[in-house]
Amino acid sequence: MRWTETEETVRFNEVDEWGMAWHGHYMAWFEAGRMDLLRRFDLMPFQMVELGYIAPVIRLQCDYKHPARCGDRILIQTTVIKPEIAALIFQFRILLKTNQTLLARGESTQVLLTRENKMVYRISGELERRINHLLKYCQQA
Amino acid sequence: MDCGNPDQRHCGGKLDDIVYNTDRLCDYLKQLIIETLKLEDITVEQIDNDKPLFREGLQLDSIDALELVVAIEKIFNIIIEDEDIGRKAFASINALAAFIQDEFQPASAAQL
Repeated sequence: MRWTETEETVRFNEVDEWGMAWHGHYMAWFEAGRMDLLRRFDLMPFQMVELGYIAPVIRLQCDYKHPARCGDRILIQTTVIKPEIAALIFQFRILLKTNQTLLARGESTQVLLTRENKMVYRISGELERRINHLLKYCQQA
Repeated sequence: MDCGNPDQRHCGGKLDDIVYNTDRLCDYLKQLIIETLKLEDITVEQIDNDKPLFREGLQLDSIDALELVVAIEKIFNIIIEDEDIGRKAFASINALAAFIQDEFQPASAAQL
């Protein structure tokens, strides 16, 4: 499994009054990781729209393992797994850059809708080609 | 094919014996829906053959349909091409059974 890495710094405005990164910000970090991965395969949201699709998130999960604190350099690792259904499933790990401590891990699932808001049961054409490139990249060791 | 169904009433026969016996097929589909969607509080007996599966009735949604499409395509070796066809196929248990009976190809199907 190959993971892309995105680096961020925990900002002052992202910590709560206990000095720990607020749980909701992890979703934004997942999003940063997801965009970095999608950019490599011409699958950014606007490019999906050009192909006639949108990909809303229908499931989002996060397990918090260790708190991040203001000023911490963090690494967001992102990959995709091959789903059984016509969907995009991303997996995330957030690590502390200095010693690789696992801060959180998560997963998101996106389905595909056509311009007419119809659920895609079978991915085909150019979208399939790009998603296959993405899957192939992530499946490499 | 292992149907993965703990309810052995519906297993152990050839798939085409089940497909062309509407009562058995309907019970099989109900069990499949319960297992695929993990509807732990629902029993086969509680699902009405004529009631809509979506919104009313079981209150399934389009994401449930996506999961069911994969399960049904795999077991019956048929294709549910898109949501328009899916909407008709999933109108009720009876509609789904009729759709499978029309689309099923015995020669290519595996044994349960």
